[in-house]
Amino acid sequence: MLRQGAVALGKEKTAVNDLNVFPIPDGDTGDNMYMTIKAGCTALEGHLGTLSELSAAASSGMLLGARGNSGVILSRIFAGLSKGLQGVVVADTKAFAEAMQSAVAEAYKSIPVPVEGTIITVLREGAAGADASGDLNRYFDTLLQAMQVSLDHTPELLAVLKDAGVVDSGGAGLLCIFRGMNEALCGEVSDEELVPTSAPSTPAVELDKFDENSTLEFGYCTEFLLRLMRAKVDLETFDEQVIIDYLNQVGESVVAFREGTIVKVHVHTFTPGVVLNEMQKYGEFLTIKIENMSLQHHQETNQNNASFKKPKQKYGVVTVASGEGLVNSFREIGADEVIAGGQTMNPSTQDFVEAFKRINAQHILVFPNNKNIKMSAEQAASLYDKAEIHVMPSNTIGEGYYGIGFIDRDNPDVDEVIANVTELMESVTTGMVSTAIRDAEGEGVTVHTGDFVGYCDKKILTDSIYRSEAAKTLCERVGAASRDVMLVFYGKDVPAEEAEKLVADLKATYKNLEIMLNNGEQPVYDYIFVLC
Amino acid sequence: MTFFSDTDCDITPKECAEYGIKMIIMPYTVGEKVIYPYIDFEKFDAHSFYDMLRGGTMPTTSAMSEEAYIQHFEPEFQAGNDILYVHFSSATSNTFNIMGQAVDKLLAKYPGRKFYHIDTLGITALSYNIVLECADMYKAGKTAEEIVEWAKVEVPKFSMYFFADDLKFFRRSGRVSGLAATMGGLIGIRPIIYLNDEGKMVSIGKEKGRAKAIARLVQYVEELGEDVKAHRVLIGHTDCPDIVAETVKMLKEKFGDDLNVIVNDVNPTIGSHCGPDAIGICFHAKHR
Repeated sequence: MLRQGAVALGKEKTAVNDLNVFPIPDGDTGDNMYMTIKAGCTALEGHLGTLSELSAAASSGMLLGARGNSGVILSRIFAGLSKGLQGVVVADTKAFAEAMQSAVAEAYKSIPVPVEGTIITVLREGAAGADASGDLNRYFDTLLQAMQVSLDHTPELLAVLKDAGVVDSGGAGLLCIFRGMNEALCGEVSDEELVPTSAPSTPAVELDKFDENSTLEFGYCTEFLLRLMRAKVDLETFDEQVIIDYLNQVGESVVAFREGTIVKVHVHTFTPGVVLNEMQKYGEFLTIKIENMSLQHHQETNQNNASFKKPKQKYGVVTVASGEGLVNSFREIGADEVIAGGQTMNPSTQDFVEAFKRINAQHILVFPNNKNIKMSAEQAASLYDKAEIHVMPSNTIGEGYYGIGFIDRDNPDVDEVIANVTELMESVTTGMVSTAIRDAEGEGVTVHTGDFVGYCDKKILTDSIYRSEAAKTLCERVGAASRDVMLVFYGKDVPAEEAEKLVADLKATYKNLEIMLNNGEQPVYDYIFVLC
Repeated sequence: MTFFSDTDCDITPKECAEYGIKMIIMPYTVGEKVIYPYIDFEKFDAHSFYDMLRGGTMPTTSAMSEEAYIQHFEPEFQAGNDILYVHFSSATSNTFNIMGQAVDKLLAKYPGRKFYHIDTLGITALSYNIVLECADMYKAGKTAEEIVEWAKVEVPKFSMYFFADDLKFFRRSGRVSGLAATMGGLIGIRPIIYLNDEGKMVSIGKEKGRAKAIARLVQYVEELGEDVKAHRVLIGHTDCPDIVAETVKMLKEKFGDDLNVIVNDVNPTIGSHCGPDAIGICFHAKHR
């Protein structure tokens, strides 16, 4: 039944995506819910067991696979269903109806401030309207009818839906799933494969990432064990600080410590050969590992290599971004892990948990950079106990970038660090320019499909057929004149010359504003303006 | 009496010739190559040098040897001259311990001679300003004792406040205290740094954006300044003419066009620790 629910949603997910309120690809509900329920199905594969066992397995699979707010809520709905079905051998109408009530309770509990007119309303009203006095077929028929009625009424409960002329996308997705489940109940099981999804998985080393035209941007991650030699140094008086000082001159991210006559070294350097020659003045190597860091990226390989584990840090940082330039910018400013994702591709709870595992830190600060990703991060935080996870209130790329840049890693007071970062993030404004995917009405702005729209805080502030024009008006509307610093990340569809020209014009307009241009190479957003 | 200064004080060979100053050259190292300013090049090409730093090259600096100091000072003692050495802050380099050893040896060898030295408790523009004041007195015929007495009162009155775009150079050099371990430079947040009474660099706050950072430097000149117009105002920078132009404009708006502003390139040895796009103002103040 669950599988058929997934198949049904799979067919309709594009339609569900299109119900998004905002005329910009943003937090695709259909994809998120589909990937979440698919994770539940995957967990069931090859499983035989009682109903309670199966539903528990599916629900825990969905918990980890949950993406986006709608995905997280869906995972909670099924967690509630599963809870309600514990100990039930064959679900009759009564048992299923009770499990549905448990699902409603669990769904409401998962949201701090439940908003009516959304997926939870459709679930609650559906469950309330279903007739539990007959058989299960009768129950499902009435459940689907009640859910449809409830879904149709969502625009009356939520003004944003009404303004956009759509029904709630999460509710529509849920209805799809229950329709599919009903088909299974009626024996209409299809053999359709579940559509493979482009879930961000950890790639193996991609040699193509460094080709004959590449420039050595990150240098080499160089690690070795050096045995100090009696013939070369006085073992009693030798101070490994000499090595550390040297490494700090020629490299970065230096970690070096001595145990007996062995010195363990980790350094990022552009000239590993020079480093190794220098080190041979003091001893001989036990092991050496050198990796081109352009290939390394997501591959923090040595996690399980006990011979060389990163020492525990006070702070670790996880964030979410897409676009190679943006990801690099986030790394440069101090993110330890950048999970691929963003507006159109929300990472799952599991993606966060995996990222946490790759970091050895006492406190991990998570910057989701999107309201729709926050819940997955929080769910992951509740599932992880090896570090204290703090999900930071960063709702935009700009807030996240500024917040991470302001972490004072030398400050031992985590509350103070969080307070400082939060305060700074509150002063950040992020404006974005993107292409409208359908007509819409903003506040005093008429949006035409294919136009460039500038917006901020989910408010459309400008529309133009010219990208730079939209960018300039947006800067004006968000108050660039009264700000001190503006970072500009230009997207993959924007030529560098165009971005440079825009920045030159903006500099001429805003004399006191310091503007820093970065190539974000991000999809969807042609420009991200971060004002502080 | 022979007057010595060093390249870390930003004084150039041209001025040395004008005032009759002998210069001690402070070396720096790029890759494997040790470079001696004004020996290995005639004129300091600040733009090329700081562009190289922007490109990722990180020069290093090192202390001088005892032998090098002896080579500078011994001929003067041999010729029967005393020495007055006005130098950069001894708190920023251990080269002065080595110099002390060299001087002790020489004084033992030439018991009749005297070695005077003035620690400017500063670097670059701050030292430069004090060296020029001392050089004026030297030119006017003042004795070493008179200049040293002046310095006791006046050195603590020359103040320098500065900021840099990219803090990784300062952080790497480890010579600034109170610098938060943030990546503020990338988000336009700049710590304001000053040289304290001990000649050490200390961070005393931060500003968002260049415009505010410049305004804050100028504000220090206004609020802390004393007889500002009776002295030179030195602006040292590491290849950021636009920021300098803005700063000079603001200073002249506050103090008038007749303010004696001198703009100079921070020497490469000190510049290796500041990085490109740093600017500092040195002025005569009530206190540092």
